[in-house]
Amino acid sequence: MFRGLFYLLIFPGLAFQVVCGLIFEWIDRKLLARFQRRIGPPWYQPVADLIKLFSKEDLVPLGSYDLVEVLLPLISLSAVLTAGLYIPIARFTPFSFEGDLIVIQFLMSVPTLAYYLAGIASVGIYSILGGGRSLLQYFSYEVPLLITISGPAVMAGSWSVAEISRSQLTMGPFIIFQPLGFILAVVGLIGKLKRDPLDIPSASSEVVGGSLTEFSGAKLGFWYLVMNVQAVVGIFLLVNLYMGWSNLTFPFAAILVFLVEFLLMVLILSTTSAVFARLRIDQLAGLGWRILVPLALTQLGFVILMGV
Amino acid sequence: MDKISIPIGPHHPLLKEPLSMRIDIAGERVLGGTLRMGYVHRGIEKMTAQRTYVQDVHLIERICGICSHVHTTTFCLGVEKLLGIDVPPRAQYIRALMCELERVHSHLLWLGILSKHVGLETVFMHTWHDRELALDIMEGISGGRVSHAANQIGGVRFDLSPEQEVMVKENIGKLKAQVSGVLGVIENEPALRARTQGVAPVSADLIRDYCVVGPVARASGVDVDLRRDDPWPPYDQLDVNVITRPEGDAWARTLIRALETRESLRLCEVLLRQMPEGPVTVRAPRKVPEGEVVTRSEAPRGEVLYYLRSDGSDKPARLKVRTPTLAVLSLLPEQLSKIHVADIPVVLAGIDLCIACADR
Repeated sequence: MFRGLFYLLIFPGLAFQVVCGLIFEWIDRKLLARFQRRIGPPWYQPVADLIKLFSKEDLVPLGSYDLVEVLLPLISLSAVLTAGLYIPIARFTPFSFEGDLIVIQFLMSVPTLAYYLAGIASVGIYSILGGGRSLLQYFSYEVPLLITISGPAVMAGSWSVAEISRSQLTMGPFIIFQPLGFILAVVGLIGKLKRDPLDIPSASSEVVGGSLTEFSGAKLGFWYLVMNVQAVVGIFLLVNLYMGWSNLTFPFAAILVFLVEFLLMVLILSTTSAVFARLRIDQLAGLGWRILVPLALTQLGFVILMGV
Repeated sequence: MDKISIPIGPHHPLLKEPLSMRIDIAGERVLGGTLRMGYVHRGIEKMTAQRTYVQDVHLIERICGICSHVHTTTFCLGVEKLLGIDVPPRAQYIRALMCELERVHSHLLWLGILSKHVGLETVFMHTWHDRELALDIMEGISGGRVSHAANQIGGVRFDLSPEQEVMVKENIGKLKAQVSGVLGVIENEPALRARTQGVAPVSADLIRDYCVVGPVARASGVDVDLRRDDPWPPYDQLDVNVITRPEGDAWARTLIRALETRESLRLCEVLLRQMPEGPVTVRAPRKVPEGEVVTRSEAPRGEVLYYLRSDGSDKPARLKVRTPTLAVLSLLPEQLSKIHVADIPVVLAGIDLCIACADR
């Protein structure tokens, strides 16, 4: 029982993922700052921000559903933390089972839906706009993302992330066989995380703060935590699906390789957010359905043909 | 879809100065909008009538936080015309140099704001970093980054030392390299073009109907620039290239401003090269003879017009200021239809609002 609690609360559960989320936020902000000729924040800035938000007064606008607003970030956080439990961290995986890739996909969608509900539950006009946009965005990126990440599953012949990751030991990392799929998955992940250039639901010059306009204090802090943990879990997932190098190396080197792959993914995400302008929602829908879906299907077709 | 009305302003992340709009939208489509302004009315025109001409120069500098120098230049030109005094040529050149530097920093500021609104924060940071060079020049020669207090009636308040000239030339050289980089981004960056090209195009006829001036007019192919059409000294001795584009959309406006920045930097170099020697000020009497005068000059955002009536005392009887922003604002409701919600920032940024100028 203690072992189970350790898995849930320390590693690879709550504590590990929250720390990883904060480290991710710091590296991301620092890299972005250097791209923009700024110095960037010190390493403890994400923690300081979180402490400050948690100690702030919590304002509830008149007419909003208070309980829903409190529950939504908590549900989202538990969903992404749970998703993180099934993803191998440098080969270590306590809870893996056949089909956990689908469970992870489902759990990773919970924050998006919660984000939409948060916009509707808080009565502000910008919140409703942001919420609607997040749902539109969800329909644009989710389908190509789902098609794309079934590529590695088909190739490995398994729907378990750990199994997919392990099968790269014999077959070689899937990024070599599915480079297009990897790019599509990164685009999908950016859409899922609502990061620049796909930060359409929270674009400050258009909809102020999006769904989170009316959130403040600890609730907003939890939302930021959700975003960071979601980013880390998404990165871990892609690293396992496409870059199985940590399975090819010795046990201790696996941790190092995993870390390098993680940092590489952060670099990719930061660079894209630094160099691309935000798309319009109709442009994103066009990109999603006219370009990403056909490309994802092509990639999947190639994978199936290669298996035959 | 149901029609909803969203408020933009008086306080909104999109606006740097208070302005209020109510925009009717259906889904992501904009149906139309109404405008309300006057939040930063300070009664400056009335205040000038209670102060002497010497004090008014400093008051008028506070009309705008970006194009402060061109306002005082236009005012001083009018007073000097009434007084019938000739400003020394060196003072005219220093005035023009400040005008062009102001255009450079105003346009770079604007380019940054536009790119921030389309989610390209990197370009925002880089253009504002470059803009510091222009501000450094102005601080180095006048002592003030934004309010320079350069003009006085009868000339300018400071001279340009040889060391300062070297510093100005150096910084202008650096700025030229940076601006060509920004131009490359505007011309080639596909996501920026996707967000600005074809957004809210305005025809040249509409521009003429609304008396729109400045870069917005030039981006629609209307060839107006007072520096060439009605030059005040020393622009009559300069060869100003007026840049126009036929498209009239947000992208043309972006490109126009980047190209104008380059042209202004070229003019700065010409001004430094041709700068005559001599005094920088003449003594002006405190009392201004009776009469009225209209002066115009080309601010970064377009034509700025000053009407001045004197009753023979040391205080103006009436001063009327017409700023380019007011003319351009009247075009805004026309543009706020058939666009997306995401285009609102692009349209608003595209006309380069200076609310403080318009409200005074």
